Amino acid sequence: MAQPANLEVIGDVLQFIGVFVSFSIAYVAYRGVRQTQSSSLTRLATAFVFLGLGFAVEGVVGLGQVIPSLTFSTMVVVAGLLLETMGYFFLAFSHAIDVMISKKMGVALLMFPVISLTGAQLVDVLSILSFYFVLYGVVETVYSYVRTRKPDTLLIALGLAMIGIGTFIQWLSLLYLNVDVLSLLQIITKEIGLLILFTPVLRFTVGGAKLDGIV
Amino acid sequence: MASYRTQVRIIADVLSTARDMNIEGNGVGVTMLLRKGNMSYSRMSKLLSELVGSGLILELSGDKISKYMISDKGIQFLEAYYQFEDFAQSFGLRL
Repeated sequence: MAQPANLEVIGDVLQFIGVFVSFSIAYVAYRGVRQTQSSSLTRLATAFVFLGLGFAVEGVVGLGQVIPSLTFSTMVVVAGLLLETMGYFFLAFSHAIDVMISKKMGVALLMFPVISLTGAQLVDVLSILSFYFVLYGVVETVYSYVRTRKPDTLLIALGLAMIGIGTFIQWLSLLYLNVDVLSLLQIITKEIGLLILFTPVLRFTVGGAKLDGIV
Repeated sequence: MASYRTQVRIIADVLSTARDMNIEGNGVGVTMLLRKGNMSYSRMSKLLSELVGSGLILELSGDKISKYMISDKGIQFLEAYYQFEDFAQSFGLRL
């Protein structure tokens, strides 16, 4: 059985893998923005920049638990979670805008958590919001799959669902503070989800498009 | 359900028409672009002058009417567009 300190190290390494994956997806999306000036890709790039920054802050905070001389205030933890939640918000927001363009009703659903979750603790609220945003992203991605029947879209929905489960376990780990395994489990689940999201990026890199500066 | 086309999608549609309909190699007329592009003449004229200006499409001036042909830069743009469209669709988004 792994000791809690080892779990922290494993969790921290996974956080930094998450940083790499997030920034890789953001980079490809940003290249797409430069090539096509697409607002959908702008929102996608923004989402993954926020997620990458959030994971980076959480990873650095995690280092503080491995290296005792490093100490961080609670506000840094909150800042990390806030960045991550912003990332999930932009992921959901991308879909909401897409839904609006398609003349469907989706924004009302997006506004719901702001009304219903006031009064809870900030960290709890951020975790619940993250879960909600990811869940919304999963639903919209599944709708897109139904429309396009593209296997990659279903894979991304699966990845987002894994991240959603991760954010839910993250919330549980906040409720049950003494269970270290929950904290690691939420990171592992999120990382599996992120690695699934990485699949289109891998294919893109293999395709080797060097197309900067056309538009 | 009908859905709005983004500006970049409209550009890609015009470029792909200019590429696919140029069977004889002497360009595609505005009528064909209008039919496939599904937009008004004034809007198409404005778009074509922009595409010619940016080098994505070539204007072949004839005696009476101009014809249009996709340029190498336009083909590169289309390839990039389809790749990024595929990427965006993977995330359930439209380009």
